[in-house]
Amino acid sequence: MILSGWESFFFWVFAFSAVIAALLTVMASNAVHSALFLISTLVSVAALFVLLGAEFIAGVQVLVYVGGVMVLFLFVIMLVNVGTEERGGGEELYNRPAQVGASLFFCVLLFVGLISAVNLSSAHFRAQPTTPGQSIEQMSAEQALVRETEQGMVASATGTSKISSDTERVGASLYRYGGLPFEIASVLLLVAIVGSVLLARTAKQEAAADDLAPETRAELSGDEALGIK
Amino acid sequence: MIPLSWYLTLSAVLFTLGVVGVITKRNAISMFMCIELMLNAVNLTFVSFSSYFGDVTGQLFVFIVMTVAAAEAAVGLGIIIAIFRNRETLDVDDASILKL
Repeated sequence: MILSGWESFFFWVFAFSAVIAALLTVMASNAVHSALFLISTLVSVAALFVLLGAEFIAGVQVLVYVGGVMVLFLFVIMLVNVGTEERGGGEELYNRPAQVGASLFFCVLLFVGLISAVNLSSAHFRAQPTTPGQSIEQMSAEQALVRETEQGMVASATGTSKISSDTERVGASLYRYGGLPFEIASVLLLVAIVGSVLLARTAKQEAAADDLAPETRAELSGDEALGIK
Repeated sequence: MIPLSWYLTLSAVLFTLGVVGVITKRNAISMFMCIELMLNAVNLTFVSFSSYFGDVTGQLFVFIVMTVAAAEAAVGLGIIIAIFRNRETLDVDDASILKL
């Protein structure tokens, strides 16, 4: 099927850049190069989110993934910069038949899955028109009234332009239906912060917090007495 | 309108690239980045279904998945730093102390 128009043009551009950058992420032997290619994959996928009409998720993707998680990755690569290069490289891959076999198995699985998925989806999944008014019959009468009134106004009078209606809908349903998962996610983030701080402490910091096993403390003080001083 | 199957195909390709990366890489940080790639492919699936069915619940799932991915990255990188302090290497083949 050949599509024309700007939407398919942008889909092809971003899909190709995402796949190529993902390929280079997997193939790069330097971890920093891998991280930079992963960043370009994430930005391309964020652009695809915009094409799908999910502007909020696209913004969160750029802010959280690219601005937060990937910067964290780059900082850790900087901290442990010894051994960022994979040892060996391309030619050593042939010495590991198990890994290559498993990869080929997954590729074949993908191929079979894609064939059946495309066959199924062409029959079952019809694209719904996603104009703003398409879900009016699903809304209650009150919401429909509000929507109608807003559509009658100029864009600036509603306070929401067309591009932010997705953010409004996601926010509304996040606080209406997803309150408990939202709170659980915040507790999870707190636990992750505490856990990563605890895990990444040095022995000296653990000793300063008086949080060492007795034998470790004896070993540490012995080292200091013998080696350093 | 782009067919849904194209987005699903792209997402499957990205996911498989992530799986292949996790299998073939031996640097722990590179493996983590491939896991992020897999999570992102799943997010693309969620968003495309959410967009094609006109339901924002899929985007809520993506929000939670992103939170979990951020938490996983923070804890995982803490573990990587702890392993690096003890062993001076990031090769996962060398971190085999639990092996029988």
